[in-house]
Amino acid sequence: MQNSQQTARVGLFFILGVALIWVTFETLSGGKVFKDQGYHIVAGFTSLKELKTGDEVRMAGVKIGEVEKTRLAGRRAEALLRISPDVKIKADATATIVMAGLIGTNYIGIDLGSEAAADLRDGAEIKTAVTPDLNSVMSQIGELGKKIEGALGNLGGALSGDGKSPGIIQKVDQLVTENRENLAQTTGNLRSITDKMNRGEGTLGKLINDPVLYTDLQSALSEIRGGANEAKTFIANAQAILDEVKRGQGAIGALVYDQKAADDLKASIANFRTVSDNLAKGKGTLGQLLNDDTLIRDTRAIMRKADRALDGLDDAGPLTAVGVVANGLF
Amino acid sequence: MRTLTRVLEGIGSTLQLLVQSLSHVPTLPRQWGRFIEQCYLIGYTTLPIVAILSFFIGSVLALQSGYSMENFGAKQFIGSLVGLSIARELGPVMCAILLAGRVGSAIAAELASMKVYQEIDALETMNIPPARILVLPRLAAVLVMMPVLAIIANLVGWFGGAIVAKYTDFIAIDPPAYFAALRRFMEFKDVLNGLIKAEVFGFAVVLVSCNIGLNTRGGPREIGASVTRAVVTSLILILVLDYFVTKALL
Repeated sequence: MQNSQQTARVGLFFILGVALIWVTFETLSGGKVFKDQGYHIVAGFTSLKELKTGDEVRMAGVKIGEVEKTRLAGRRAEALLRISPDVKIKADATATIVMAGLIGTNYIGIDLGSEAAADLRDGAEIKTAVTPDLNSVMSQIGELGKKIEGALGNLGGALSGDGKSPGIIQKVDQLVTENRENLAQTTGNLRSITDKMNRGEGTLGKLINDPVLYTDLQSALSEIRGGANEAKTFIANAQAILDEVKRGQGAIGALVYDQKAADDLKASIANFRTVSDNLAKGKGTLGQLLNDDTLIRDTRAIMRKADRALDGLDDAGPLTAVGVVANGLF
Repeated sequence: MRTLTRVLEGIGSTLQLLVQSLSHVPTLPRQWGRFIEQCYLIGYTTLPIVAILSFFIGSVLALQSGYSMENFGAKQFIGSLVGLSIARELGPVMCAILLAGRVGSAIAAELASMKVYQEIDALETMNIPPARILVLPRLAAVLVMMPVLAIIANLVGWFGGAIVAKYTDFIAIDPPAYFAALRRFMEFKDVLNGLIKAEVFGFAVVLVSCNIGLNTRGGPREIGASVTRAVVTSLILILVLDYFVTKALL
């Protein structure tokens, strides 16, 4: 009895162990317990990258199956995908290998495809697209790094020189060394200038430190502003006048834009010139008056005679005055 | 020099015992009763301690890795780390160490006392080779039982890790996420590696313990010395073999 009980226990224990090993095997090697559930589709890639058996197949992020097998088929690699029977994949859906993490976990992502397309059947092949993998991105970053390194090297060479010709830093250093005294003097001057400015000496110092100057400047500015305003008004008035002139209004307007007035003016000027010519030539009364000095001499003689007559009048009395004047004149 | 001679002598006698035992394999079906008895002793009675130890190894592994991995945001990989560590290394090694402590010592004590009290001599006088009835059933039993113990150790360890991962505040990873991470980076190959290692360790422990027990010389005091020697030798052998088997299986 004891012996058979022992045997039973050992048997039970052994069966338990085998069962556990089997369960572990099924769980970890892609769950072949469920191999009859779902249908298969084939996805061909140029490289499966890190994809391995048991990786997930997701549609729009939802797990719909897993990679059952990976194999080489001629010049490409194929992944056999087992898809849940209740999920339909459209014929125009595209499968890509998607990286889920930086440490090499991948899954196959399938997009939804268009509604009108037919469903993929068991054993059909799905369209695939290549996505850039981490290695290609890394190699690009590496190239970028090389370029940056080259650029920095050039910059460094330019700054520190390449042995033959001195770099910018050396040149600057040389410049500073050679001009040390000048620079010291210049900075000394600058310091004395700024000190003076601080103390309020000189025009700039007063400008900076004296509030009166500021007030003056402000009032000057306000005056300038007023002047500018007046100038603006003046310009506006001038503009208005000009506008009127342009419209032909007013005397100048008529002069500029009225043909008749201009012609009249021209004729008047011509007449005036004729008159002045005549005057110059001594034609007419006024011309003679201006140019002939006999007239003035005669006039002067008459005046003398009149003077004498008046003197006689004083003596002869008023009754003979008329006779004296008439005699003197004629 | 004497030590070296003794080591070489031990290796030689162990191999000799192995060859003798293998030569009696055809008699195994007739020793079914002994085989079952040894299976019971080696497997069934060792199970509780293996389960307890594995549970706490899984727990502490999850706790430690969670504590460390939290710093660089890799908590979700605790499942993978605990799963792989236990399946490939800790499960088989801990099983073998427990076997050495519990079974190896018992075998060494039993065979050493039989040798000291001249029962072995009596068997030999009756033309019954001790390798046939004392060693072969034990070797066969450990070959059958060791994978079972190892897979139980793995599973219990994984569950221990899962429980700690869920109920520790600073880890707080649900069992589905834990087991998803465990599955993602593990293949059955990893578990199989562990089972093969457990098999090799268990076989070595039993063989060495039998050999040391059978080679006991002197009086009853030597029984204790043999037990100590059997356990120490087994432990050293487990860790040395661990390196080479791991390297061979990688």
